Amino acid sequence: MSFLELTDVHKHYGPVAALAGVDLSVASGSRTAIVGPSGCGKTTLLRLIAGFEAPDRGRIVLDGEVLANGGAAVPAYRRGIGVVAQDGALFPHLSIAANIGFGMRHHQDKRSERIVELAYIVGLDKAILKRRPHELSGGQQQRVALARAMAMKPRLMLLDEPFSALDTGLRASMRKAVAELLETAGITTILVTHDQAEALSFASQVAVMRDGKFSQVGTPRELYLKPKDRMVAEFLGDAIILPAKIADGFASSPLGRIAVDSTERRDLVRIMLRPEQVLLKRTSREGMSGTPDMLFGEVMDAEFAGSMCTIAVRLMNSPDPPDAAAIGNTPLVLRKPGMDTPVVGEIVRLTVSGKAHVFA
Amino acid sequence: MKQALSALAGAIALAISLIASPVMAQDGSIVVYNAQHESLTNAWVEGFTKETGIKVTVRHGGDSDFSNQIVAEGAASPADVFLTENSPAMVLVESSGLFAPVDADTLAQIPKEYQPASGKWVGIAARSTVFAYNKTKLSAEQLPKSLLELADPSWKGRWAASPSGADFQAIVSALLQLRGEAATADWLKAMKENFTAYKGNSTVMKAVNAGEVDGGVIYHYYYYGDQAKTGENSRNVGLHYFKNKDPGAFVSVSGGGVLASSKHPKEAQAFLKWVTGKRGQDVLKTGNSFEYAVGKGAESNPALVPLADLQAPKVDATTLNSRKVTDLMTAAGLL
Amino acid sequence: MLPAAELARSPTGMAAGHWTRRQPISWISLAAILVSLFSLLPLAFIIWIAVQTGGETVSSLVFRPRVGELLVNTLLLVVLAVPICIVLSVALAWLTERSDLPGARLWAWLSVAPLAVPAFVHSYAWITLVPGLHGLWAGVLVSVVAYLPFLYLPVAAALRRLDPALEDAAAAVGLGPWRVFRRVVLPQLRLAICGGSLLVGLHLLAEYGLYVFIRFDTFTTAIVDQFQSTFNGPAANMLAAVLVTCCFVLLGIEVLVRGEERYARVGSGAARQQQRTRLGRATIPCLALPVLTALLALGVPFVTIGRWLVAGGADVWRLDEIGLALGQTLFLALAGALLATIAAMPMAWISIRAPGPLQRLLEGCNYIVGSLPGVVVALALVTITVRIALPLYQTLFTILVAYALMFLPRALISLRASIAQAPVELERAAASLGRSPLKALWSTTIRLSAPGAAAGMALVALGIMNELTATQMLAPNGTRTLAMAFWAHSGEIDYASAAPYALIMVAMSLPLTWLLYVQSKRMAGR
Repeated sequence: MSFLELTDVHKHYGPVAALAGVDLSVASGSRTAIVGPSGCGKTTLLRLIAGFEAPDRGRIVLDGEVLANGGAAVPAYRRGIGVVAQDGALFPHLSIAANIGFGMRHHQDKRSERIVELAYIVGLDKAILKRRPHELSGGQQQRVALARAMAMKPRLMLLDEPFSALDTGLRASMRKAVAELLETAGITTILVTHDQAEALSFASQVAVMRDGKFSQVGTPRELYLKPKDRMVAEFLGDAIILPAKIADGFASSPLGRIAVDSTERRDLVRIMLRPEQVLLKRTSREGMSGTPDMLFGEVMDAEFAGSMCTIAVRLMNSPDPPDAAAIGNTPLVLRKPGMDTPVVGEIVRLTVSGKAHVFA
Repeated sequence: MKQALSALAGAIALAISLIASPVMAQDGSIVVYNAQHESLTNAWVEGFTKETGIKVTVRHGGDSDFSNQIVAEGAASPADVFLTENSPAMVLVESSGLFAPVDADTLAQIPKEYQPASGKWVGIAARSTVFAYNKTKLSAEQLPKSLLELADPSWKGRWAASPSGADFQAIVSALLQLRGEAATADWLKAMKENFTAYKGNSTVMKAVNAGEVDGGVIYHYYYYGDQAKTGENSRNVGLHYFKNKDPGAFVSVSGGGVLASSKHPKEAQAFLKWVTGKRGQDVLKTGNSFEYAVGKGAESNPALVPLADLQAPKVDATTLNSRKVTDLMTAAGLL
Repeated sequence: MLPAAELARSPTGMAAGHWTRRQPISWISLAAILVSLFSLLPLAFIIWIAVQTGGETVSSLVFRPRVGELLVNTLLLVVLAVPICIVLSVALAWLTERSDLPGARLWAWLSVAPLAVPAFVHSYAWITLVPGLHGLWAGVLVSVVAYLPFLYLPVAAALRRLDPALEDAAAAVGLGPWRVFRRVVLPQLRLAICGGSLLVGLHLLAEYGLYVFIRFDTFTTAIVDQFQSTFNGPAANMLAAVLVTCCFVLLGIEVLVRGEERYARVGSGAARQQQRTRLGRATIPCLALPVLTALLALGVPFVTIGRWLVAGGADVWRLDEIGLALGQTLFLALAGALLATIAAMPMAWISIRAPGPLQRLLEGCNYIVGSLPGVVVALALVTITVRIALPLYQTLFTILVAYALMFLPRALISLRASIAQAPVELERAAASLGRSPLKALWSTTIRLSAPGAAAGMALVALGIMNELTATQMLAPNGTRTLAMAFWAHSGEIDYASAAPYALIMVAMSLPLTWLLYVQSKRMAGR
């Protein structure tokens, strides 16, 4: 039983179609991430759900209540949907306590206790409550915004890139903390982001959006390993796309014979590998001899960057592929742990682990 | 750095010396502090310059501010000649000893009654106090018989004046001389209760014409001046002359004098002589000022009630005390 | 022109001693201190005269019924006109900036344009239309019409800058549109409203011509009356002292109400484009507000001027007279603007490059003097030059100094904004390439701040062009500006002859007002 149901939602700004028919179903208590490049319409979708704008066409139903049906829409302040904006959108003229309690009624019982409690829940110190928003760090501001949205006990929580203003280390820990918090509170959540790692780690359901439409909706694993097309594949992470011939669950490709996730038999397909599936082992020119089944490459470029390094490998003995010209001398670019960075000119042996994904 | 500093200081000094000289007055010309109506003085200046070639720079202002200004400026006053609308301002400057004696042939052009015995300044024109009233609101019998009647509570809210102007202050100074300080103070106090303040006599007449008030104490020529133009601000206005030697029949003498500090006394005396002479007084008869001419044998504009018929009270122009008047008016809350 | 000994004794002089340790700045800070001390002269003289006059005379001149009357008049004027201006400007700004009002851009411009009409021309127009207009309510009406743009401009700019995310956030936690406006939008407009109200209030205190036309006595009209009756007598100076006190009270109230709060947007990233509220069926009634305002503030003056021009025909265009007045006005406006800008430069530089307690003190001095009515500054300068510096009396120098003192804050604000945009690194780079500090300053910061300086000069010129009281009291012999000529003609009820001058003043002010309008839009990022 879906909690939030979007049906054929359209929204135009002048001649520009921001949303061109969106359908989405969100289960109660779940976490959904909407991910896509900037300008794909994901923020517009969020604003329609929040009620800041009305769709041109389509229905939005929350928990059985029709929030929008075409132009007719329930205004935001009657929806009971919490929103945490990109930069928190804290009221600069109010103290932190007043910000958190903004949506509460003034004469509400135990108002201040509730504020302290919310601050505790989002991990803020009590001492901070008297301060002003500009005195807080970015992470603290986001926590306040979250507490403010939670104070009204929302039916649905919308997070609009709430972590993008934070620095890398803080972003991951905040994400985890927020996910746990909302999980505990049992609040259905939709996160909008352009960061695929964030989407994959945060949500139980991910929707990849492009040009005002969902390209694919599914679990993070599904989307990452079995993307519907090249765009989804590349959006969710680095991808090695290869031409191949498949039969009996195996593909013959420029990387040799690789297991695939399809049993059909086709002559010209594209398969996808995630770079982490390609393993490198340092060897030498001498090591190449007498091992015709094995695949070797020469390191063309190696860029050391601390924990990781980026290595470009030119295949030396690729088996004859269906259209070898396509891959030709283009090196494979792989990101590997920085511990054992090979030097330029070194010979490496390549092996593939797991199955490659076959695009339909 | 030192060089730059001295260069900068030099430049500043040069700039100050350049703009510190009153550039707008040219050399060899005279400066007139003019409290008379601009159009009248401009006509005098034009005629004088045309005839003599002497250039005149005019600074416009009022009787009171100029007289006080000249006293404050003292010997350093840039003014050569001072022209007023009323006598008290002249008295103030004279009592500070800042006037040079007027040339005898200039004095000879004006009857004794329009100049002080000291010969330090000379009358150049005259104007009569009137009660300008709205003809649709007041009939002849409702008119006040005396200026003092306007202090009566029955006149509350019905009359107007321009208390900040030197004209009205001159009328008060005449009242002060004729009736004494206590009576004047009382009258001013009653006035504060009764009257409506306007800025400028033209504005008073305009208000009377529009029926905002029944009447106002002004000088006669505002009426004639407006009649000569379009008459749109005096259509409903009638003039009531108090006569009977009433303080309200006071005729105020406009004065002219040459300052002792003048750098161009010859040209300044020539200007005053021209103004009080035939051609200068003719300007009063033919122009649009409608002030009375005071020169010997000079005629005023024929449209006016003749000066001789006004039954003005005898007021010694040389003792009109402008400072006392402003003090009394300040005390009465009129200023 | 303070003696050096006095400079050394003053608290700012002490601060200067402390400053000289920082070599390259000391030059400029010294200049800034000099300018500030100079600007304090009018204030110092009022105090000096009060001391000289003696306690008894002072109290008899200050504590009298007339002063009470003026105080009541002036207070009522401020208390009535300022709140009306606030309500109207917020409503107008919201309609033009945040609603889908048809022709919003046009109405926005028409709400600013009345600035181009000098206040006394507004009054002249109204008195022509309604000859009997007078008293408090007339004063309130014309003041609101004339000074509304001073509040509209900052409020509209602030509204434009508001981050719409805050309003969304408030709606999301369950606040209806009215409560969002009251609890989120209005508090964020507080700074703009405070600043604008202060500006309006100070203008109400300083205005002369407007209230003379409609016969409403305020301190400023009373001071001019006293000046005309007694020149620089003690009564005028004591009235000025009370007026100065009123200005201080206004400044103090503004500081209290404004508080220490910060209203800048928190967080990073670009603010989203604001949405305009659909007015729907309310469009027509809402349209009535800007239409009515434009009719009152622009229609009345333009129709009146036009009417008098038609009535006066060709006769009123005495071109030699008008040409002379125009030339003198332009000269005074340009020279005054130049002086004010040069005088503001050290202060502006310090406030960006070396902010601190000294800078705040100096800046405070300049703002206080800038808030003094022209009549007070002029009265002080008349007294000073007559008594002490007679060679400077009635000279171009003195009138220009008066203009500089009165309009310094206008130049300062524009300059400061543009210097803030000239990075200090450039100045340092120039210094490292062998330029002396002054030359480095000249070749980098001053060059780069030229556009801001030009805008500031335009604002100062606009002020000088429409200035009446100080010009009348201080101008050199033979001076006749447009405003003076307008005043002389209208004083003799020759409204037709005054009309060409009014028209020229408005025509010259319009481009400058447009500049102001465009600048305020740009500052708000659009």
